Amino acid sequence: MSEVATVVTGWGITIFVIATYSIWVVSRGKAIGQELGIGEMEQVDPRKDAGATTDL
Amino acid sequence: MTSVTHSKAKMTATATTRVLGVLAIAATALMAVLGLLISPADVIQGEAVRMLYIHVPSIWIAYGAFVLTSVSSILFLRGRKRREDRGRHYDRLAGSAAEVGVVFTGITLVTGMLWGKVTWGTYWQWDARLTTTVLLFVTYLGYLALRRLPADPIVRSRRAAVMALISFINVPIVHYSVDWWRTLHQKASLSVGRRPEITGEMYWTLLYSTLAVTIVAAWLIIHRYRVIRLEELRDEEALAALISSRLGKDDGSN
Amino acid sequence: MLAETLLVARKDLRVEWRAKIALGQVAPLALLILVVLAFALDANSSLLELGAGGLYWVAVLYGGTLLIQRSFDVETDDGNMDAFRMSAIGAPSLFLGKSLALFVQIGLLELVLGSGIAVLYNVRVADWWLLLVAAAAGTVAFSVCGVLWGAMSAGLRVRATLLPLLLVPVLVPILLAGSRAFETALGVRADAGWTWASLMLVIAAVHTAIGFGAFGFLLEEG
Repeated sequence: MSEVATVVTGWGITIFVIATYSIWVVSRGKAIGQELGIGEMEQVDPRKDAGATTDL
Repeated sequence: MTSVTHSKAKMTATATTRVLGVLAIAATALMAVLGLLISPADVIQGEAVRMLYIHVPSIWIAYGAFVLTSVSSILFLRGRKRREDRGRHYDRLAGSAAEVGVVFTGITLVTGMLWGKVTWGTYWQWDARLTTTVLLFVTYLGYLALRRLPADPIVRSRRAAVMALISFINVPIVHYSVDWWRTLHQKASLSVGRRPEITGEMYWTLLYSTLAVTIVAAWLIIHRYRVIRLEELRDEEALAALISSRLGKDDGSN
Repeated sequence: MLAETLLVARKDLRVEWRAKIALGQVAPLALLILVVLAFALDANSSLLELGAGGLYWVAVLYGGTLLIQRSFDVETDDGNMDAFRMSAIGAPSLFLGKSLALFVQIGLLELVLGSGIAVLYNVRVADWWLLLVAAAAGTVAFSVCGVLWGAMSAGLRVRATLLPLLLVPVLVPILLAGSRAFETALGVRADAGWTWASLMLVIAAVHTAIGFGAFGFLLEEG
């Protein structure tokens, strides 16, 4: 492999790994958040939320 | 009762971390421009030097993350009786930092092997730093495996914390024994107090890359921390639901 | 504390003696490993002689892991850990006692392996003292690390795979130093054998100290 191709491969793998990992973290957070019935970017009012949680 | 814990939980994204996320993407883009286009090729290493802008910051971040894991583990063990949350805040921090550390150690190994292939002509050399790094990688993979096992969360966290501490103490022992065994690797590329061997634009690019990678790692650790928190909430809620269904007292809150 | 330590060690050894797993299964298995390693090297006698030191430690690692596993299986299977927690025996004594029992068992395994290597790989000992010191230091490190990581993975369903994964990275320096020290002791390499042996002593001391301090955390419940 040429130097340029190697550098591109290395950077490519790195960006791919970090991007995949970030997406996995965020989507896992969203999935569990939904399961728990927590709205995004907002704090849930405990009184309003009573009885609205997902049945596990 | 469960909804009270909800109100304390934060989602994986808040306004602050959104800003941090955008910053991380922008910093990475600039890092690519600086590292791949603007900075010059090395006289000896040629274009391959551009790999080091990822390779070197990655291992620093990985070491930093493992230090964070160790410090958090100590704080967890110290605070597990006194603190209201039984030190779980530190436990989550230790876990998320270790996972990010493992990711960056993996990146260090891959980029290092590619760099070695063009510079040394071989993917692998049995020298001290390579061997230590691969052992570091496996050690913390084991730590993550221990954290994931089904067990009582507090007992598991305590075992993980002890393991994190022993692993950290073990790193220099591994390093020096392997170092004795054989040393071929070039000296550390950048060290405090000594004149760096790489200079000028390359030096600044490396320094900047470290900053960019740090931002990315910080974003990752914060988000991973929140996901661990959510996982714990989910498990607690599942347990609470199970208990109340066993007791047959369905008060409508589950 | 000494009395407690000996009590724990004697209990472990008596359980092991009754079951005869170590002698009846682990030792023969370790000998088989020596045979398989000879297959891997095509029974090339000069290679086997050169590698005997390292191969010895590989076989010890394999057999030792099985012994460590057993040492904790007998505790968790019958809920003995709870009994220990409730008894007056302190964590340090428990740690030392279990380590001592493992030391004896792994030591016996090494005797079997050593004789096996001497016969099968045709090695001659050039420095008995070095051989014994290195073997003793390595065995101490194996035992104390074994007790520590055995307690770490005790009671977990996947311990059979988890224990080696956690154990091997911490034992790497011992395996490395042990292999080098044995090469000198067996006269195949005029290297710094004693330096490696002293490194092994230091590592054994460090791990003993760590285990002494950390074992209590692993026993605590809830």
